[in-house]
Amino acid sequence: MRRKTMLRLGGALISLLTVGGVVVMLLPYFWMVSSSIKTGIEVFDLPIKWIPDEIQWVNYPNALSKGAFGVYFYNSFVVAFAVMAGNLVFCTLAGYGLAKFRFRHRELCFRLILSTLMLPLEIVLVPTFLVVRELGLVNTYGGLIAPLAVDAFGVFLMRQSIRDIPDSLIEAARMDGCSEFGIFWRIILPNCKPALGALALLAFRDNWDQFLWPFIVATTDDLKTFPLGLAQMEGIDSAAYHEIMALAVLGMIPAAFIFLFFQRAFVRGITLTGLKE
Amino acid sequence: MGREIGAGRASPSMIRRSASLLRRWVAGGGKRSLHSHLRWAGFFFVLPALIHLVIFKFYPMLQALRLSFFRYDLMSPPVFTGLENYKLLWENPLFHQSFWVSVKYMFGVSIPEWFFALGLALLLNRRMPGRAVIRLAYFFPIAMSQIVVAMVWKFMYHPFGLVNTILETFGVGRINWLSMEESALPALIAIGIWRGIPLFGVIYLAGLQAIPKEYHEAAIIDGAGVFQRFFYVTVPLLLPTIMFVMVLSLLSAVKVFLNPLVMTEGGPNGTTRVLPYFIYETGFAFFRMGEAAAASMVLFVFLFGLTLIQLRLLRRGGVE
Repeated sequence: MRRKTMLRLGGALISLLTVGGVVVMLLPYFWMVSSSIKTGIEVFDLPIKWIPDEIQWVNYPNALSKGAFGVYFYNSFVVAFAVMAGNLVFCTLAGYGLAKFRFRHRELCFRLILSTLMLPLEIVLVPTFLVVRELGLVNTYGGLIAPLAVDAFGVFLMRQSIRDIPDSLIEAARMDGCSEFGIFWRIILPNCKPALGALALLAFRDNWDQFLWPFIVATTDDLKTFPLGLAQMEGIDSAAYHEIMALAVLGMIPAAFIFLFFQRAFVRGITLTGLKE
Repeated sequence: MGREIGAGRASPSMIRRSASLLRRWVAGGGKRSLHSHLRWAGFFFVLPALIHLVIFKFYPMLQALRLSFFRYDLMSPPVFTGLENYKLLWENPLFHQSFWVSVKYMFGVSIPEWFFALGLALLLNRRMPGRAVIRLAYFFPIAMSQIVVAMVWKFMYHPFGLVNTILETFGVGRINWLSMEESALPALIAIGIWRGIPLFGVIYLAGLQAIPKEYHEAAIIDGAGVFQRFFYVTVPLLLPTIMFVMVLSLLSAVKVFLNPLVMTEGGPNGTTRVLPYFIYETGFAFFRMGEAAAASMVLFVFLFGLTLIQLRLLRRGGVE
């Protein structure tokens, strides 16, 4: 009997902890949304009113007019989609080559690719900038996109999932006279859709969010991405918290949308890069 | 302009020679006989990604090494100065400070992450009502942009922000978190932890779910309690995941740049100037490219050493 009450108490405690954790994780976001519909004075009112008496939708257009946010959003989408496309093409090709072919130095190629995980942009920032400058790509979309177009994580993810496709499928197609690229197109791609989806989502999220590289390579206003635009607006008008929060809410929407609709693929992508082997 | 910096080209024979040298240590493919066109096909599939990484990773890395021996300000041609840049760094108290700020941030963020994330994964792996919704709530922040997080937390840490409001109800006075030397770095570390827990929680959770139920059932039959099962079944089987999380959390913590930039500008008094920020500032604000490259090399050696140590531990842990 006593054991049972102990167990029940433990269970209640754990539930409490779980819910408390949710609050800690999400409270800042609630506060962000709540502040984005208040006036600049109300945001600091005590006690906190989570829903203000009068909802200030006007914060949104006001905030958007403080910079060329249409351009920034557009640039962010261009960069995110282009980098995503690059990753889908190059990482999948490389993943297929590494997973299903035997050739000299294959393991070396794989290790070389993986070793670039040790060379994040933060380390090769200066020389990457010099390379891009050498190519004449400073302040161009090409310069924003090119250095990010292949990610070793993507290659790893695609290799892992293509390895699970049975060889017999590929052999059968080869027997039937399908070309190597035809095999890639008709057999491999349809059979690794979940991994492709996960890769697309992760690439989109990471590059929608890209800050450091655009910060270095895009100095003109017409090439700035949303994170740069927001940081810049905050730098100029750092007291306008209600409007900054409105912009933050807008910046959150694409990521939130993707997460809510593709939650399973998203989580699978994160775990796929980490597990197996 | 910049001839010395950009013009060098790795010769193919050099690559071949080093490749064949490395091959001795690498279990080489190509033993099984296959039609030669298949080998070429495989290589061609890999080639585009490889070329990209050579241009945007390996070549810049070699250039960083080269540049670290030059004085270069983007305008006048680079001048070879030997080890001058490294000497300058060694004598620069700001660099020392920056290095230790990075070390503090890295371990300050990742060590709590290891434990909290595992705790979260254990919580979410239990059977409970509304588990799907609770998981959704925990994993949602993973999708959030860094810039959104930075903005929200800058506001949270405002003297009249939510953090102080909550602390006030517990009788703590209002603190200007981001502008005091003692509290700025801990404030950023707290954000890092808060942000990392769900991400590493997902990875742990997948690891937990991969453990076959039979092991736990067998342990229960043998009369093992909750804690015994955790330490003798869960932990050993989760070891590869644990190691992976350790490596990944450190690597991602050392890269932090956005938060110090937009929340504190490396201040107050350099207490949040992490190494990437130092590199950015030296290179792109003071135009001392050579010195910035030298600092990058130091950061690289540090990261490399750290990863090697972790891989060694990983091997010893019986994970191969």
